[in-house]
Amino acid sequence: MKGGFRICPTTALRVHRQADGLIKANAVAATVLLLVGGITGLLVLLTRWQAVHLLDAVMFYRVLTIHGMSMLIFFIIFFEMAILYFAGPVLLNSRVPAPKLGWSMFWLMVLGAVMVEWTMWTGRADVLFTSYVPLKAHPLFYLGVILFAVGTLITVAVFFGSLVVAKREKTYEGSVPLVTYGAITAAIIAVITLVHGAAIYIPTFLWSIGIGNVDPQVYRMVWWGLGHSSQQINVAAMVAVWYLLGALTVGSVVINEKISRTAFVLYILFISMASAHHLLVDPGMGPTWKVVNTSYFMYMAVLASMIHGFTVPAGIEVGQRVRGLTKGMFEWLRRAPWGDPGFSALVFSVIIFGFVGGITGVTFGTEQINIIAHNTLRIPGHFHATVVAGTALAFMGVTYYVIPLIFRKKVAFWPLAKIQPYLFAFGMLIFSVAMTFAGTFGIPRRHWDMTFSDALFDVQFSPAVNLVVTVMALGGLIAALGGAIYILVTVWSVFLGQPMEGDATYVDARSS
Amino acid sequence: MHTGVESPRGVWWKPAHKAEKVWVVLAFAWCMVLFAMMPLWHWKGGQNPSGIRARVEPEAFRVRTDEFIATYKVGEEDNGIPIVEPPPGSDIYLLGQMWLWTPSLRLQKDAEYTLHLSSADVNHGFSLYPLNINFQVVPGYDYGLRVTPTEAGDFRIVCNEFCGVGHHVMVGRIEVIDSAAAATDEAAEELVLSAPEGDEGGDR
Amino acid sequence: MSMHGVPNGIVNPPRPLTDADEEAAQEKAGGFGMAPGTMVMALVFLAVFAVYYFTNWKLLSVVWQVG
Repeated sequence: MKGGFRICPTTALRVHRQADGLIKANAVAATVLLLVGGITGLLVLLTRWQAVHLLDAVMFYRVLTIHGMSMLIFFIIFFEMAILYFAGPVLLNSRVPAPKLGWSMFWLMVLGAVMVEWTMWTGRADVLFTSYVPLKAHPLFYLGVILFAVGTLITVAVFFGSLVVAKREKTYEGSVPLVTYGAITAAIIAVITLVHGAAIYIPTFLWSIGIGNVDPQVYRMVWWGLGHSSQQINVAAMVAVWYLLGALTVGSVVINEKISRTAFVLYILFISMASAHHLLVDPGMGPTWKVVNTSYFMYMAVLASMIHGFTVPAGIEVGQRVRGLTKGMFEWLRRAPWGDPGFSALVFSVIIFGFVGGITGVTFGTEQINIIAHNTLRIPGHFHATVVAGTALAFMGVTYYVIPLIFRKKVAFWPLAKIQPYLFAFGMLIFSVAMTFAGTFGIPRRHWDMTFSDALFDVQFSPAVNLVVTVMALGGLIAALGGAIYILVTVWSVFLGQPMEGDATYVDARSS
Repeated sequence: MHTGVESPRGVWWKPAHKAEKVWVVLAFAWCMVLFAMMPLWHWKGGQNPSGIRARVEPEAFRVRTDEFIATYKVGEEDNGIPIVEPPPGSDIYLLGQMWLWTPSLRLQKDAEYTLHLSSADVNHGFSLYPLNINFQVVPGYDYGLRVTPTEAGDFRIVCNEFCGVGHHVMVGRIEVIDSAAAATDEAAEELVLSAPEGDEGGDR
Repeated sequence: MSMHGVPNGIVNPPRPLTDADEEAAQEKAGGFGMAPGTMVMALVFLAVFAVYYFTNWKLLSVVWQVG
């Protein structure tokens, strides 16, 4: 496997050839799955918007399954593997240890993803993202997820290996940068997540081939141990990207390493228990279990997010102020580089994640308030604000730096690229808020027909509901446009883009 | 001073600036408020998802529901679902199955019942419309919730957990009657029926 | 005009930080502190949170008694 390092003309970091390659491969895979997830998301939207009601019931539930798995598992985890290869080897000037293993795990993840996509598209897994037992999918659905998880786990191990190698070969001085620390947090939570995943998908796979039984309540509990922890990987990765984008776009300051690092550690310590907030109105667990897990434990993770929600903007503000933007309360923000899509994505990600995603999530995660939220549209309204307008938008923003820095290409359709975060953020904001509001009327999630025209009894929603759902649909369409522009810009740039100037030759300083 | 992509120089375990400390204290205090609200509501509030929880075989729950229907049946809906009118204070049973809720319940306002929820097959979602009260219905588990309807009306139970291709036809019904108002209506009717003796004399 | 671009952080990178910056930031540590704009936004956030949160308790309090 070829090795060698190049010197990045912008950051002066020593970049290993295999790090470049593995970041590119994972980023491309992520974008392909984002496209699948995006198209299916649009189809779901056009069906739930009763004015259009595009798909029939069977296809709707099928496409909804594909949308969930493609976005929340495949797109986001492939992108996070790219982040690990950046935050480890690249930021630490180090080599990728065992690159052959890194590549074979990449292909294992691709195989797993293809298996799962095949079972879903061919109608063998109409069970939705959560695949709640006793709903049963084809065995290759569960096996594909297991293979993808094994690939992820071993890639995480390669990342940990790169930290050890970098330390031992003294490729950096002192402690790792904060961005790397955040990535380490995400990686540790990934291990916890994948252990839960094994604990639930292996017995469920065996059940699907006729061996053993899985209790439905136990399934929900262990699955959400995987399900919520995986969201915390996304949060930790997103926050690491916030610090990265802050540094790249405006040279933002880390105002206190102790506070920021402790906040990352809180994520690790408390998130697994906090998964209990998915089970607040379930029959199998008692109120003490529910209250303890959702409060004492969850609120420490919430505290961590509130800390980062302060230190990230404060770091931008202090960085701008020491560079001369000191007039009034907000000159630092007004005269920030709003034409830099990395910066605009960063700001919108922080604001929408915090104000919409965070507030709704913590509120619904209250034991009693969950009674008026569970399984209504309030839930997807919440998580589109966190994982889409939060994490995915931050990932989109950082892509505009990955293209020139790693792919060594200029960003194509630059005027479109500059407005892409605005479109996506605005669309998602409208979409999430409208969806949350629609849910307060009692509109169910995961439901093909909210006119209930074929149902056993009539259900008359207030006429206001149609207006709210139309607003939601329009927001979703704007966001879909923003997503489509992102894919157009990134794919064109990578394959047909103008090369960046600067020396990109790899020099074999030591063996790879 | 450094950015998030630079290694911190020297020891980074340093005291925080005042603004950060203030924020951490405020945020922590808010988290304590969030925590306190839950036990407080258990003590002082009227809605808690506590319930009485028991494991039950789906088939056994179905048998129990059939007995309940047989005991209190007062009629049938147009679509064939049985209607039951159980006395206040009783244990009432609602079975979710692919793709219907049975029975339809006729309850009295301000009366307390213990509502037992379970499923015959897969997960379902109990969503009482338009109040937006939601609970998970899991096969193998009996969720016994003490409910007191506080308003009269004709309510629907929407299934809001995916349960297969017929998920969206799954709607049930709860009717709540204000028995005090109903009693007043009955008394008023009797008064009208007994009036004619006096009237006949007046009309001549 | 080229349709291809490079983000501002690469074309016009932010000036690197120095020790002098550390001292300049320290001087500001008073009143609303080193990041007053952020503190204002953070307090607005807490206020919005409290309003949304307690509104939901109110919404819950008007439905049937359940326990």
